[in-house]
Amino acid sequence: MILSGIILLLLALLGTPLFAIIAGSAFWSYYQEDIDLAALAIEFFSLAEMPVLLAIPLFTFAGYLLSESEAPSRLVRLTQALLGWMPGGLAIVSLAACAFFTAFTGASGVTIIALGAILYPALKQAGYPEKFNLGLVTSAGSLGLLFAPSLPLILYGIVAREPIDDLFLAGILPGMVMLAMLAGWSLWVSRGSKQELIPFSGKRVAAALKESAWELPLPIVVLGGIYSGYFAVSEAAAVTALYALIVEVGILREIKFSALPGIMRESMLLVGGILIILGVSLASTNIMIDAGVPQRLLEWVSGLVDSKISFLLLLLVFLLILGAILDIFSALVLVVPLILPVAAQYGVDPIHLGIVFLAAMQLGYLTPPVGLNLFIASYRFERSITEVYSATFPFLIILLASVVVITFWPQLSLVFLSR
Amino acid sequence: MARLSRWGKAAEDAVLVILLGAMILLAVAQIVMRNGFGGGFIWADETLRLMVLWLALAGSVAAARADKHLAINVLARALPPRGQSAARFITNAFTSGICGLLAWHAWRFLQQSFEFEDTLVGGLPAWWFQVVLPVGFALMCWRYFVFALEDIVAGVRGTRRWPATPGDQAP
Repeated sequence: MILSGIILLLLALLGTPLFAIIAGSAFWSYYQEDIDLAALAIEFFSLAEMPVLLAIPLFTFAGYLLSESEAPSRLVRLTQALLGWMPGGLAIVSLAACAFFTAFTGASGVTIIALGAILYPALKQAGYPEKFNLGLVTSAGSLGLLFAPSLPLILYGIVAREPIDDLFLAGILPGMVMLAMLAGWSLWVSRGSKQELIPFSGKRVAAALKESAWELPLPIVVLGGIYSGYFAVSEAAAVTALYALIVEVGILREIKFSALPGIMRESMLLVGGILIILGVSLASTNIMIDAGVPQRLLEWVSGLVDSKISFLLLLLVFLLILGAILDIFSALVLVVPLILPVAAQYGVDPIHLGIVFLAAMQLGYLTPPVGLNLFIASYRFERSITEVYSATFPFLIILLASVVVITFWPQLSLVFLSR
Repeated sequence: MARLSRWGKAAEDAVLVILLGAMILLAVAQIVMRNGFGGGFIWADETLRLMVLWLALAGSVAAARADKHLAINVLARALPPRGQSAARFITNAFTSGICGLLAWHAWRFLQQSFEFEDTLVGGLPAWWFQVVLPVGFALMCWRYFVFALEDIVAGVRGTRRWPATPGDQAP
């Protein structure tokens, strides 16, 4: 058992696709327990028994479609017209635009690629310090994970069997805290530098609003539709996908019809990668729960900590380490079912746990040595990886502080919920 | 061989596009029917869920071709070219084997479903829908087998299989 675990761990570290590692460990445990291995296929087939799963391909496709269109630059122009007049405004514009965009594209590095290309030169031109810009654009790429309808929020709801609309509500204030703390830091850093400010003009705002008139209804349709009870989450996803398709391809014609299959394919690569991991881990999770892994985990944890506060601290440390090694999707699917019962024993609300989980895993995108967004930024802006490390470091510290606030202030996540 | 690969990619694209397009239309039609006409198609919800499963497999096969399955591949990148080829050979051969096992047991699942005459979506044979499991996994098994062969060639020649910066590999 231990030997097979070590072999699988080594294979994972050598770069084996994670679904194969999870399937391998499920096969091995089934074999040990004398269960017919065809049970793995049966568990995998239960992917077809989860109605909310539909939201994943549809929102992902809509996000990819928006990122391929001119929507990112329109979004920047709009926020700039609204906030560009204040000192440090462009930095805040960047943070807000990235957060908004990541909420739709699901934190997969798409934001850095789509928005970074616009914001990085704009910040430089406006007179912000070079290193600050690099750090800002890199760390803003994962901001927005906590805002609806982000993919990780939906996936947490599916895995933890919690209502997704509750998670959408729960993410609002913690997401705002992250945004506000980074904005505060940006104002502080850029206080001395000479910036070109754009005076506020009603005309400019009106023009930017008009230009974005087609995309602006999207968040209202998504969130309004869900909270008025008009749509289920998966239906909101379908409406978003169809709407984005009609607007970007049919009305604005920014995406050629012939480019559509390519975008569909690209977005479905990510969806396939997430869903296959979910499918095989349905099997491995069941066997781990049958084998009493959560109970043993609980026994072990209760030997270490005895209060909710100390449990949360331990959890936070664990998640930060996990986030540095594993991507957010695999971590959600693998780890949440195991820590959920343990957290419940310490009186941690499952919704709060979800927000803490995502907030801490978000830092994983920026943690050296392997944070994915660090590499994407290094590649995209042609900077050495060590330059990116040091530019991102202050932002990482601020985000860490915000995660601590989110973790130890559960009300922040739970205030809008009736529980 | 190159032609086979082109046709394979075109077939994958076609399946992905048709599934995703049909899914969007069916899901929206269902909302319109429910809110506008007081009831949707009875078969639509189940069909949509099965389409998600199909999309999961089709997307996985496409992700295998593009070598973009989620993995921790930062450590292996640090290895010299030949070490990288060796690491990739091991991991691809292992993945191919696992996919083969998955395909084989999915096939057995399909046979059972066939024997017991399981049905889905109001009476259609269940195996019509379940057949995507063995087929999808078998295609992935083949893909990773080809990768493993390519790794042997790359190992002998000493060429580097991964670019030095992993940014372009991001999912």
